[in-house]
Amino acid sequence: MSATAEQDHTAGTSVLDQVGDNIIHHVSNSSLDHPLIHLPHFFGIDLSVTKHVLMLWVVAILLACAVIIPVRRYMQKEKAIPSGWMNALELIVKFFRDSIIKPNIGSKYSETWAPLILTLFFFILFANGIGLLPFFDILGAVNRFAFHIPASDNHNFINSLLHGGVTATGNFNVTAGLAVITFFAIIIAGTRAHGFIHHWKNLVPTGLPWPVYIILIPIEIIGMFVRPFALTMRLAANMTGGHIAVLAILSFMAIFAEMFNSTAIGLSLALFSIPMAIAISGLEIIVVLVQAYVFTLLSAVFIGMAINVHH
Amino acid sequence: MENLHLFGVGLGLGLIVIGAGLGIGRLAAAAAEGIARQPEAADKITGAVNLPLFLLEGVAILAEVFALLIVLMK
Repeated sequence: MSATAEQDHTAGTSVLDQVGDNIIHHVSNSSLDHPLIHLPHFFGIDLSVTKHVLMLWVVAILLACAVIIPVRRYMQKEKAIPSGWMNALELIVKFFRDSIIKPNIGSKYSETWAPLILTLFFFILFANGIGLLPFFDILGAVNRFAFHIPASDNHNFINSLLHGGVTATGNFNVTAGLAVITFFAIIIAGTRAHGFIHHWKNLVPTGLPWPVYIILIPIEIIGMFVRPFALTMRLAANMTGGHIAVLAILSFMAIFAEMFNSTAIGLSLALFSIPMAIAISGLEIIVVLVQAYVFTLLSAVFIGMAINVHH
Repeated sequence: MENLHLFGVGLGLGLIVIGAGLGIGRLAAAAAEGIARQPEAADKITGAVNLPLFLLEGVAILAEVFALLIVLMK
């Protein structure tokens, strides 16, 4: 959100050259050269904590407070009557069990895969949703104006938090990790239901003339990898796309102010930019919910396809 | 002439929007028609429309990602 303000301060190069870099800087992970916490290399892999890793931890802590602890406490109670927050959780869990897991996976294996599907849903929902809250920007503003720490101070922890985006699921690596879980879940589900060799045989229908298999087997093998790839791209691109749209629309103010060389035109464009940015933020709330739902729905469908083979 | 890739990306983005819009429009029209004829089957129709809708959206998003890659990598 502070994109346009920063652009006005840096004179010299054209605004148009800075806008693109600024937008990418606000949605991508913080640079590995300036990690939040320095950690040593293990087997050539830099384990330093960047902003998206920190956000994953924040999401994990939030999930523990909002889901795991209330559920554990509820299970220990003698009289199992849900109240307050537990009611909401039960509603979500029941909706997922009755309208996603049972129709797709079947009642025999629904108890086995419900924990995975629900974990994916809650994790993605919280990781998506936290990207809509600009609390690091507020912390940065407090830091800058209440404690008078300059923006150039690289050793200040809150200043280093301002680099990079907060939506961990907007990072392709994070969503690829989640999709890899789905990829192996599909194979394990098929193996548990039909046995290891039979699962691979189930990928193609039986009883076709042999020339068909020459085409069909490569297609099915590619399809096996395309599904998690599509899951990765869909979630990450959706999460990044909304932020890019908001920042691009807000950048119009700086671009037009420079183009016509007057601050008044730039400010009057705020009448267009800010309502549009608010509208897109409202749309983002829906996208956050829908994308968490889509990822879990497709995971459930793919796992169900490995278990209930329609040939 | 060195910026022709931007021209292609702009054209491609328009084509993506046309394709995805047509697809979603046809899906929504068919679903609305089905629900109008059989209001009691609304839940089933919505469930059946959801999956192809998201697969379609995935294709559009993939195309957009590749368009972005063309811009960033030149």
